[in-house]
Amino acid sequence: MPATAKKGEILEIRIIVQHDMESGFRHTETGQRVPRDIIRDFRCTYNGLEVFRVELHPAMGANPLIVFTTTATESGTLEFKWSGDNGYASSTTSALTVT
Amino acid sequence: MSAAAASVLPSLNALATVDDATQAVDKILSGRPAKVGRVTLEIPPLVENGNLVTMKVSVQSPMTEADYVRAIHIVAEGNPLPNVVSFFLSPRAGRAAITTRIRLGDSQRVRAIAQMNDGSFWQGDAATLVTLAACTEV
Amino acid sequence: MPHRNEMLQRNEMLQRNEMPQRNAMLQRNEMPQRNAMLQRDEISQRNEMPRAQRVFSSCLLSVLLSLGALLPFHASSQVDPVGHERQSSYVLMSPDTKAMQDDPLLNPATFTVLDGEVLWRELAGKKNQSCASCHGDATVSMKGVAASYPKVNAAGQLLNLEGRINQCRTEHQVASPFAFESKPLLALSAFVATQSKGMPITVERTPANEKALASGQRLFDQRMGQLNLSCAQCHAERSGQKLAGNPIPQAHPTAYPIYRLEWQAVGSLERRLRNCMVGVRAEPYAFGSNEFLELELFLAWRARAMLFESPGVRP
Repeated sequence: MPATAKKGEILEIRIIVQHDMESGFRHTETGQRVPRDIIRDFRCTYNGLEVFRVELHPAMGANPLIVFTTTATESGTLEFKWSGDNGYASSTTSALTVT
Repeated sequence: MSAAAASVLPSLNALATVDDATQAVDKILSGRPAKVGRVTLEIPPLVENGNLVTMKVSVQSPMTEADYVRAIHIVAEGNPLPNVVSFFLSPRAGRAAITTRIRLGDSQRVRAIAQMNDGSFWQGDAATLVTLAACTEV
Repeated sequence: MPHRNEMLQRNEMLQRNEMPQRNAMLQRNEMPQRNAMLQRDEISQRNEMPRAQRVFSSCLLSVLLSLGALLPFHASSQVDPVGHERQSSYVLMSPDTKAMQDDPLLNPATFTVLDGEVLWRELAGKKNQSCASCHGDATVSMKGVAASYPKVNAAGQLLNLEGRINQCRTEHQVASPFAFESKPLLALSAFVATQSKGMPITVERTPANEKALASGQRLFDQRMGQLNLSCAQCHAERSGQKLAGNPIPQAHPTAYPIYRLEWQAVGSLERRLRNCMVGVRAEPYAFGSNEFLELELFLAWRARAMLFESPGVRP
């Protein structure tokens, strides 16, 4: 996403996270099922307010990529949080200056 | 060998039927109708490998406080589980257009159900052919 | 990879796995300079067969024709009987998959390359040295290196890139070698390989490698497995035709290591070759075996002058 924007501008945000998204449907060569281990939830907050949320299921691809939009309303911080199975949690932030 | 070579093919009897997908959609709709229109689902008509398929969904909507898309649900008719992903938006989105990458286990129809702020539903779909990679591990 | 530090914010929170999970915020306005990335139209469409060979093959053909030869034309791997130009399997892919390879922000192998960059600087072994301790900035020191492998070293050993990395580990860092197909080995080889992106493969026939090269060619031409097929029969004689709905590539190793969609992971050329062997129902050679090294040498030589694309995405 850009670091600056005009008020009211619609920003495109592309985010990708490194995660195998083990679907739970794969088997090893010896026939054992590989247990499900996926990211379940993604949220984007803008100065603390949730502006976008995603519920992920096993059919989401590995290393999930999401491209979405949000309106530049005021300067501040966007926070991006992933959470999932086995206590997985990851987050990052991005500063935005709105003129 | 250190690589965990795992088959990506689910056992055939685990593949969801169209009925499972219909049930999943019914659960979302809770008895309300879903009109066809306003929702565009873009998936390549021919997919080289179902493990990572780029998918774009967009809904015609002004995305104002008065008229916006609250949620978009993606349901697959040929995967082991029908629910693929659900997006939850607000007027802050500006546009209802999302791109992501999904898994498709077989050639199938994929459906997108959009719920509006007034409680109404709209839907769209896309059909695709999923081919298998040549010379796999197992 | 250019401008990577400006491009990605990394969350170094370590999760269960040994490699840090990375949450990368992609800065759209700071995408790497396009001319530093492999342009699609740079992928070699030229006929790279040396002139001498073209003359020889056309002479041979005219001799056979003049004899009214009804003998089957045994296509050797050096001569494409249909006269096709050499091309990377990139050109056979769908537009979406091509886009996935071309854009590092979409390429699933990018994380592996970034992991490799971290490992490059990591101190290891009894000598407590990193790759960087000797090799400095990889974008300088490793330029063109991956495109020159496999090669025979001064001691007469045939090594591929992974083997060379492990040799550095054991001899110079005095650390344990990485296991075949392990995350660290793939990460380092992806990081080194991408420094050759856009550069031609420089593997030539030399007095040092000619025996291994001949052996590799024999392996390429040799029938194997329950299906009793040789590499040449599909990839030289029938490239461009379809097998089970998929177009058969010419099998040039220009993009390794690749993110194979089928694996949902990055893997080496040897892993892919093992898939080929399973495909013809042959017992695959072991990782790091002489057979694989000779075959890889031959494949690289066969692809000489073609441009490196690593890290590639393939179905």
